[in-house]
Amino acid sequence: MRQQNVPAVGGDVIRLDGATKTYQHGAPPALADVSMSVATGEVVAVMGPSGSGKSTLLNLIAGLDRPTAGTVTVAGRRIDTLGESALARFRARHIGIIFQFFNLLDDLTVEDNVLLPAQLAGASRQQARTRAGELLARMGIEQHRNAYPARLSGGQRQRVAIARALVNSPELLLADEPTGALDTATGQEIGRLLRQLNADGQTLVLVTHDPALAERYAARMVRLVDGQMADAAARVPMGGRA
Amino acid sequence: MNWLGAIRTATGGMLRHKVQAVVIGMVLLVSTASATLGLALLAASSTPFTHAFAAQHGADVTVTVNAARASSAELAATGTLGGVTAAAGPFAAATVQVQFEGQPSGQLVLAGRASPRGSVDDLVLNAGHWPDGPGQVVLNGGPALGQGGGPPVGSTLSVTGAPGAPGLTVVGFANSITNTADGWVTPGEIARLRTPGAPASAQMLYRFTSAGTYAQIRADVAEVTRALPPGAVTGAGSWLAAEDAASGNGAIMEPFVVAFALIGLVMAVLIVGNVVSGAVVAGYHRIGVLKSLGLTPAQVVVAYLSRVGWPALAGCVAGVVAGNLLAVSVLHQSSAAYGVGSQQVPWWASVAAPVGMLALTALAAFGPALRAGRLSAAEAIAAGRAPRAGRGYAAHRIATRLGLPRPVGLGLAAPFARPARTVVTLAAIAFGATAVIFAFGLNSSLSRAAASQTLSATVPVQIQQFGPGAGPQQLPDAAQNAAVTAALRAQPGTQHDVALYGEQVKIPGIARSVNAQAFGGDTSWIDYGIIAGHWYDAPGEVDVNTAFLTASGLAVGDTATVTIGTTPVAVRIVGEVFHPSKEPMLYGSAQTLAGIATTANLQEYYVGLRPGTSAAAYMQAVNAALGTRSPWAATGPGAGHFYKIAIDLIGLLALMVAVAAGLGVLNTVLMTTRDRVHDLGIFKALGMRPGQMLTMVVCWIAGPAVIAAVFAAPAAVALNTATVRAMAGTAHTGIPASITQVFPPSRLALLSLAALAIAVAGALLPAGWAARARPATALRAE
Repeated sequence: MRQQNVPAVGGDVIRLDGATKTYQHGAPPALADVSMSVATGEVVAVMGPSGSGKSTLLNLIAGLDRPTAGTVTVAGRRIDTLGESALARFRARHIGIIFQFFNLLDDLTVEDNVLLPAQLAGASRQQARTRAGELLARMGIEQHRNAYPARLSGGQRQRVAIARALVNSPELLLADEPTGALDTATGQEIGRLLRQLNADGQTLVLVTHDPALAERYAARMVRLVDGQMADAAARVPMGGRA
Repeated sequence: MNWLGAIRTATGGMLRHKVQAVVIGMVLLVSTASATLGLALLAASSTPFTHAFAAQHGADVTVTVNAARASSAELAATGTLGGVTAAAGPFAAATVQVQFEGQPSGQLVLAGRASPRGSVDDLVLNAGHWPDGPGQVVLNGGPALGQGGGPPVGSTLSVTGAPGAPGLTVVGFANSITNTADGWVTPGEIARLRTPGAPASAQMLYRFTSAGTYAQIRADVAEVTRALPPGAVTGAGSWLAAEDAASGNGAIMEPFVVAFALIGLVMAVLIVGNVVSGAVVAGYHRIGVLKSLGLTPAQVVVAYLSRVGWPALAGCVAGVVAGNLLAVSVLHQSSAAYGVGSQQVPWWASVAAPVGMLALTALAAFGPALRAGRLSAAEAIAAGRAPRAGRGYAAHRIATRLGLPRPVGLGLAAPFARPARTVVTLAAIAFGATAVIFAFGLNSSLSRAAASQTLSATVPVQIQQFGPGAGPQQLPDAAQNAAVTAALRAQPGTQHDVALYGEQVKIPGIARSVNAQAFGGDTSWIDYGIIAGHWYDAPGEVDVNTAFLTASGLAVGDTATVTIGTTPVAVRIVGEVFHPSKEPMLYGSAQTLAGIATTANLQEYYVGLRPGTSAAAYMQAVNAALGTRSPWAATGPGAGHFYKIAIDLIGLLALMVAVAAGLGVLNTVLMTTRDRVHDLGIFKALGMRPGQMLTMVVCWIAGPAVIAAVFAAPAAVALNTATVRAMAGTAHTGIPASITQVFPPSRLALLSLAALAIAVAGALLPAGWAARARPATALRAE
């Protein structure tokens, strides 16, 4: 297994160079020659219509999938060359992911859901429980720690998912349509929470097709159309930072 | 949507789920093959001699005639006598002394036949080819005879009594169901093989209208004798004697063959039910989507029956072919053990197995398909996504509190989400593990029985009579016997030797004669298997076998009067010896059974060797010392062909059952990975490494495997004990405790790991797939 560390350029947490992803031989690429970077502490919104390649981009950054061509560097490390085990270990330590439909495990309690990434990363039980308790309190759902996800509202579930994503204190938080499954009020609530996390220094990449969410909370927007960056060079502060 | 459209839609789904279709096909293949083989074995174990006798047109009577007293025409004319339904012969015959690899190998009755086929005694050629020239012989038996130390195909026997000691190359093995001869050569060969001065003889083979009893057979033989010149008939053998010998082995085999066949059939039913119902349940999501597009409930039922039906049909067809192919080897072994020529898969087994499995498939699929038909579209979509909410939550809580590594805890708790599937899988593992543990136990039991019966551990060398002696009736004389004793005493490897004398004696209460064996020296080293009591160690004490006690009504501790010739001798029975036989046997010292230890009654010598002495080298040295003119020669203990064949068969059957159980596990784990593919994606997204994923998936099945082992271990012990007792019962013997007590706790614990081994072997493949899957692929696969 070849591993290659690349020094972060200018404090970039993410750097993609010519990243291309093709799912089927002969088919047009889902993502074509994308180059971009995200600096430490930045909030970047990835926007685009359905099928534009947003989720593919997110999967490549998260190490959930590998590019067909190009490189992906996260937290100073080339992850497109890592083996599955190293990639999983890297993901557990450096990346937190929030999904549109929460992706909580129904048969685990709220606390056990939050604890899981820490346990998989080998954290001690006591340390993990302390950290989970802090996060649940911060998310305002401490009273539900022994409840099962099915008994929680959508907003509460997304808070559990955020707590789970943060339990290993990752350098990078990826959010895939984090408000997509929530009503407007709850969505705004979650948005504020994410902004608060960013205010505390958390780097965040937000995938959304909701321009309002992007404008309100992201410092920069990356627009994808048909797998290509429509305004790759633009660095547009949207004034969303609190 | 019309019916064809519904079926096409379902088939489309099947093609997109190739792995599931392949698993259904594979499971049906193995199940149908197991069922075919199981039914074939059940049929084979049911009166194998009767079936083979009918198929091979066995001879009711083999009449040996002096060819000088009756012409071929006169002999052939007896085929038209009243009561004769078929006749074959005359075949020229000769009784010859043979040597194999320089060692005396006893005498053979050879018949000259141009072909193995015939309207009577239709021989089954098991190996090699029929003699097509001089110097070739086909022996009666199977190739296992060669594997057990006898002459294999290609080896050469020397006919020592014939001029020039001509050689006979073994070119094949054939089976005569009524053992009309020990071997066959070309008709012209017989004259060359006869001992000079021996009368020319021939054999006639008959089937009669009435030959069901010894009395009828005596009447039939008398009819033939009357039709031929006086003195022409010199002997006659009946099919009843052959049946008696063959059915003994068959009956001993039957208990374990039936046990394995039933285990295989039950497992096939369990696994097919689990696979098929699981496959339909896994299709609920698609069913929901199709219903929302307009599929009627009836169309749903038909669509999903056809969805599992095609791979099931393919599996059944392939399975019946595989079952027949496997049966060739298994039935070859069972026919050797049963002592019959050949056994085939009965046609009804090749029909019943696939039809039964297809019916089972339809039954297993019908319930879930019916339920799917009745569900609303939304319910079907929901039901297809995940197990029922709430199931297994408590197990996860407990697993978390146990402080186990997280992948282990998650894996152990997972089976509780699908309790029905888990129970069926657990049962399949339990049956598989039971079969494996049972096979090991039975192997040990039969090995111990073989060692006990052949005395191979303590008596590696026996000195037996292979040639004519200088005494009356060609028995060895006193000088020849003394030469044996001298030769044995001269060998430095001799640790023990004892002469064994045999004579028929009378016991009150037993109508027939009893075979008594008297030992001319110390026998405490022989180590006979003792069922009850002890081996005799004082004058006046004797041991007997189970058949003796059964026939006499006596028990260990009783006294009896043994009449040797006309002399009554009072003895006390001190032990029951393991000697499987219908014939009553009695063992004592020459001192106790006075009058038996005469030169005329000397049967053989048992020899025990000093540690480190090579039995082969010892036998060679003794035979060299005795010389070729001695009637005595050293030989090894009986090879126990029956035990060897039975142990091989047990191994093959256990392997098949274990493979079927492993496939059942593979299917369960595969279905669970499909159910939980989205969860697996989440685990991976949260940082679960491939090794952790592999551990978790294997642990899904580890818990049920441990529980299965808890059930399998005592079940296998009970099954082994019951089977060995049933086998012993059919062999007319009790059994020493050492033969059933083959599971010390440490060994049983080790063997119980078979359940875990089956589970892990079955789970590794799908666990590997799950571990290798890309997280993004798994997350998309919902």
